[in-house]
Amino acid sequence: MNKTKRFCAIALAAMMAVTAFAGCGGTPQPTTTTTTTGGDTTASAATGGDTTATTGDDTGDPLGGEGAAGPISLKVWGPDAAQAILKEQCAKFSENMKAYGDITIEVVPQGEADSAVQVLTDSAAAADVFGFACDNLDKLVTAGALLEVTGADKDYVTNINSEASVAAATKNGSVWAYPETGDNSYCLVYNKDYVSEEQAKTLEGVFEACKAANKKFVMDAGNGYYSCLFMFTSGIKIDGFEEDGETQKFSDYDEDKAVKTMLAFHKLFTENKDFFLNGEVTKVVDGFKSDTVAAGFDGSWNFSNAKSTLGDKAGFATLPTINVDGEDVPIVNMFGYKLLGVNAATLYPNTAIELAKYLSGEECQMQRAEQLNWGPSNKVVSESDTIKNDQALSAILAQSASSVPQVGIAATFWTPVGTFGNKVVDADNPIDEAACKEIIKTTIANIRDE
Amino acid sequence: MIKSYKLQRTIADVVIYVILGVLGIIWVSPLVWLLLHSFRAEGGVTVPYVFPKEYTVNDYYRLFTETDVFDYPKWFLNTFVVAVFSCIISTLSVLMVSYTFSRLRFKSRKMFINVGMILGMFPGFMTMIALYYLLKAMNLTQQLPALVICYSAGSGLGFAISKGFFDTIPRALDEAATIDGATRNQIFWKIILPISKPILVYTVLTSFIGPWCDFILVRIIMGDKRDNYTVAMGLQKMVDKEYKQNYFKQFLSGSVVVAVPITLLFLKMQNYYVEGVTAGGVKG
Repeated sequence: MNKTKRFCAIALAAMMAVTAFAGCGGTPQPTTTTTTTGGDTTASAATGGDTTATTGDDTGDPLGGEGAAGPISLKVWGPDAAQAILKEQCAKFSENMKAYGDITIEVVPQGEADSAVQVLTDSAAAADVFGFACDNLDKLVTAGALLEVTGADKDYVTNINSEASVAAATKNGSVWAYPETGDNSYCLVYNKDYVSEEQAKTLEGVFEACKAANKKFVMDAGNGYYSCLFMFTSGIKIDGFEEDGETQKFSDYDEDKAVKTMLAFHKLFTENKDFFLNGEVTKVVDGFKSDTVAAGFDGSWNFSNAKSTLGDKAGFATLPTINVDGEDVPIVNMFGYKLLGVNAATLYPNTAIELAKYLSGEECQMQRAEQLNWGPSNKVVSESDTIKNDQALSAILAQSASSVPQVGIAATFWTPVGTFGNKVVDADNPIDEAACKEIIKTTIANIRDE
Repeated sequence: MIKSYKLQRTIADVVIYVILGVLGIIWVSPLVWLLLHSFRAEGGVTVPYVFPKEYTVNDYYRLFTETDVFDYPKWFLNTFVVAVFSCIISTLSVLMVSYTFSRLRFKSRKMFINVGMILGMFPGFMTMIALYYLLKAMNLTQQLPALVICYSAGSGLGFAISKGFFDTIPRALDEAATIDGATRNQIFWKIILPISKPILVYTVLTSFIGPWCDFILVRIIMGDKRDNYTVAMGLQKMVDKEYKQNYFKQFLSGSVVVAVPITLLFLKMQNYYVEGVTAGGVKG
């Protein structure tokens, strides 16, 4: 009895010990991958830049000979919504490159908002090509997680994409990523039953329509992502970082003009406080559903929901103008881009670069515009009929022309700007010129952490 | 001045109950809201009123059937497996460590107790990144066993409370058992454990709830491996800005379903808990 027990105990302990160590040697393949990445990264990153530029033209092998050494396997990250189409596009790429190598591409769902964090946590386990939101570019470049776009690739990216989207992929004069979309922002979404196309052109008109229909206008004024439009329209714009790389730099602005614009917003929002709903963007489509909202500032990711709720009645327009001292001033907001980055730790830099080029190219952007309603960054696609016939996409693309790109934004930016927005629309605490100046001063000081 | 003692007491009772009632409502209201709105049929993300007009189980149904984007059943199972294994391993380890420190006398006992206390003072997430790289070196990242290891490996350090409990059990019991020929091991399983049900239940509950609700570790370890996500991680994905509009009600339903196993466990354990308290102690 006792003996069997002792035997069992020893056997169990031995099993536990074995399983604990099994992880170390059980799967030899990944181990070699991880160890080689460490040594290879620098070499491959270095070659990655010039090989594609030269080999692409010289030998005609766009993969720079990577295919000759054996099968290539790549991992791509894209959002859930795009999984099906991304898989198709990757399969097409493998097919196109068949002559140069055997490429297997694994497509894994990973949202753009989160991918940068994942890459920074462990770049060796991250995807070779991944989509990310352009406000993460600074972090990724600083950490050395991205392969720079150089030589002929740089010209290619710069030539085919809109200037603003390339600017969003640029840091310190170098291009670091491949623009994938040009629509990561928000614009005016309205119900055509209540707001006419003419009224949608001015914020005064929008409020007038809301008043007439006794419906609400929705904006998330307490969220820095939306309320920054009060600052930007007033002329207070950001200009990257100071030399320390973390303090927000502001370009010079005309204080009188800023105060006037701010007061114009304040007057309009407080006069129409009964028709204004300061809340999350989800309230726009919710409000369309319950027929309590006539218009709102909503993000491009919600456009399809607005369309499915309102059908033909869904209207989309660029952000309206605001009347400051008799002059209609266009509202300036923040505009983001989705970019494709090539992981600096990739084992197959040339193939990954080719894939990123393909996925961000005209053909793929067109497919995404048609099937997913993603606004393109590609110049040719932007001019196509698909976009021109789509009111939502043309509205958001038109908006990008007069927006501040969402790059070089300090972590301390969002909260003070949200507070700023809440103060501008606060009907209970009227503000005057002096108060405006004070608010601007404290907001900037808070953002700069002074 | 109120003279009647009865009246005085009634007034005091009323005041106390009103305060307790208000506090109770405040505490319970978010849960009631969650439950009510997880069954809400109309409206989108939120509605401006508290009581839904129509009720449906559609979102619960969708949660378990529409698994192409958010595979909730799979995540639920993952969480359950991880929590059960962590719970078993850490309960055993906590109780054994406590028993050792409470009953055995050996040279480095004091030192180990102190070291354990000091290590316990560091918040766990301080070591998260280091943990990730250690697991990576062992090729264990993005796997469920990694979670079980992390949750249960250091759990023995939480011995303080159960050691305190064991200290209150008279040593006379151990001595009597020793005279009858029991070994230390037998004393633990046959004498101490049966009369320690309250602390056993407490340990089981805490070591189950920890892994069940944890978010940070899963987020760091799992990376892009969606199939191995746990519920906490998956639910958080549902309220990302791209999905919130369409998945918020499923998020509510998912949050309700998450609470079910813990509630069941607690209800089940509560019986033993009460029994343990009343049946414990030394007789004769």
